[in-house]
Amino acid sequence: MSFVTTSVISGSRSRAWLSAFRVPPTVAISFLVVAIVIAWSLAPGLFTQYSPVVGIPADKLLGPNLNHWFGTDHLGRDVYARVVYGTASSVSSALVAVVIGVVAGGLVGLLAGFFGGWLDIVLARLVDVLLAIPKFLLAVIVVTAIGFETINAAIATGVSAVAIFARVTRAEVIKTRQATFVEAAFLSGGSRSFILWRHILPNASRSVLPLAVLQFGESILVIASLAFLGYGDPPPASDWGLLISIGKDYLKWPWLVYAPAFITILTVLSVNRISRWLRKTD
Amino acid sequence: MSNAYLTYAAKRLGQAVVVILLAYVFTFVVVSILPGDPITSVLRNPQNGFSEEEIAEIIAAQGLDKPIAVQLWNSLSGFLTGDLGVSMRSGRPVSTLIAEVLPSTLILASTGLAVAIILAMAVAYGTQFVPKRYGQGLLRGFPSLFLSVPNFVIGLVLIHVFGFQIGLFRVINPDSFWATLFAAIALGIPVSAQIAEVLIANLDREAEQEYAAVARSRGIGRARLFATHLLKPASLPVVTVVALTIGELLGGSLITETVFGRTGIGSLVQRSVSTQDLPVLQAVVSLGAVVFVIVNLIADLLYPLLDPRVKILGGKKRTPTTADEVSINTTKAVAS
Repeated sequence: MSFVTTSVISGSRSRAWLSAFRVPPTVAISFLVVAIVIAWSLAPGLFTQYSPVVGIPADKLLGPNLNHWFGTDHLGRDVYARVVYGTASSVSSALVAVVIGVVAGGLVGLLAGFFGGWLDIVLARLVDVLLAIPKFLLAVIVVTAIGFETINAAIATGVSAVAIFARVTRAEVIKTRQATFVEAAFLSGGSRSFILWRHILPNASRSVLPLAVLQFGESILVIASLAFLGYGDPPPASDWGLLISIGKDYLKWPWLVYAPAFITILTVLSVNRISRWLRKTD
Repeated sequence: MSNAYLTYAAKRLGQAVVVILLAYVFTFVVVSILPGDPITSVLRNPQNGFSEEEIAEIIAAQGLDKPIAVQLWNSLSGFLTGDLGVSMRSGRPVSTLIAEVLPSTLILASTGLAVAIILAMAVAYGTQFVPKRYGQGLLRGFPSLFLSVPNFVIGLVLIHVFGFQIGLFRVINPDSFWATLFAAIALGIPVSAQIAEVLIANLDREAEQEYAAVARSRGIGRARLFATHLLKPASLPVVTVVALTIGELLGGSLITETVFGRTGIGSLVQRSVSTQDLPVLQAVVSLGAVVFVIVNLIADLLYPLLDPRVKILGGKKRTPTTADEVSINTTKAVAS
């Protein structure tokens, strides 16, 4: 009898596990897009035979064709190759920004929510201050202070995201802290640090994951904006925002803007779709 | 005006003052301390081309030879009395520099906000009327699509299509009516996506309420249900969301002004960033914070008066729609 029940439970569990992997088609496409973008950033040389830096002047400003999928720019460089080679810094810097936001914001939110009292009040005011300064202006002054480089643009973007992560983590921690099982853990003699690591952190981080994915998409946009204004690596780097910024001076040849813009939008759209799906399946 | 409301208002006002002061100090720390020694990094930078006498003059005028705590105190007390300091680059008062470019940015930002609100309402209300077969999904997809588009791309597409192809406006004349309108559209679209997101979520929630079911069972039409029952409760929380997008409008205008070649606060910031004109940056960023805090303060104070369901108990709002939580909800709404 007991054997039957366990097998039924484990059976329904594995079915639930399987159904969790039945993804809607748009989500599958989004994962495919993200996978391609990651592959581009890891091994750009596998996807194009052209150089992103050296062009053939005779082939300048060609429209998109079979040899040059995204056309060529004013120096005869293949725009597709430039986009592919620019992926690494555009995407990995967004990753850096998210990590900074999650770690710093999460820590602030965790401490404020768990300990409460005066610590909570002080940290809440600090977060208010970070929220009060318009996000993009904050990123701009931070990158001004530490220097114009893509990695610094990523740090600046991460700093501007700390507040939102702190807020969400704090709210989740407070919610978890009031749960019965946390109370039970306290009553059965669990130490504060044990409960913090074993119970609060895993539960609070569950809702931070979709937000982190969402922030990843937004960071791509913010870093592209900073690169667009010239606050990232200078040419011949080919960050997506920089490509669009160079392309804007050649609007007669619109693919110079549309091709990198299309890839940026497609990537962010896919990341956002995945984030929404994660939220729903949670 | 109940007693509880006044206590709440006083508390929020106090918080706002504290946040503004701390934001000023924070900006001061980032702008003046992080780059190391501003004298060597900015003034002796050969790009700026100051002579030694000029450097000595600027150091004396800006008080850069004093200890950092004294500088902060002078700067902060100046800020509180309305003195924003003097530009390192041009030697002119920062307040004059800002006053020169402020009208242009105000026109752009307010038009952009109007575009954002109108568009968000059209999209969100459209989802209630457009049947599923005729593109309701398209309207529902609007927010997530336009939150994925960098706003300089929207600007460039508008310039390419309406400026170059159709010839409605010329980029070399950025203050003409059409150029301003399209700049405002570029600025407003991402903001409208945020507002539409919240509006759609609210409308869907209200449509599922029992009172809506009762109204439907009485045989009320779709349009009347929307106009007399759903519209008001779904739209009121948007007040706080709109207030939160003020920062977005300020930051976005920096990029939009660059794309459309307008002069304004954004171009002032850009110029000050490239010449490392710290007093100007300090002033613009902290004024941005002041505007954001005041607008949100007004929204928070107005909201309980607009929405009678919101109860203020013992100086604390008991409602799921304080600005705090809306900011979290909007972020989450994007994810949900």
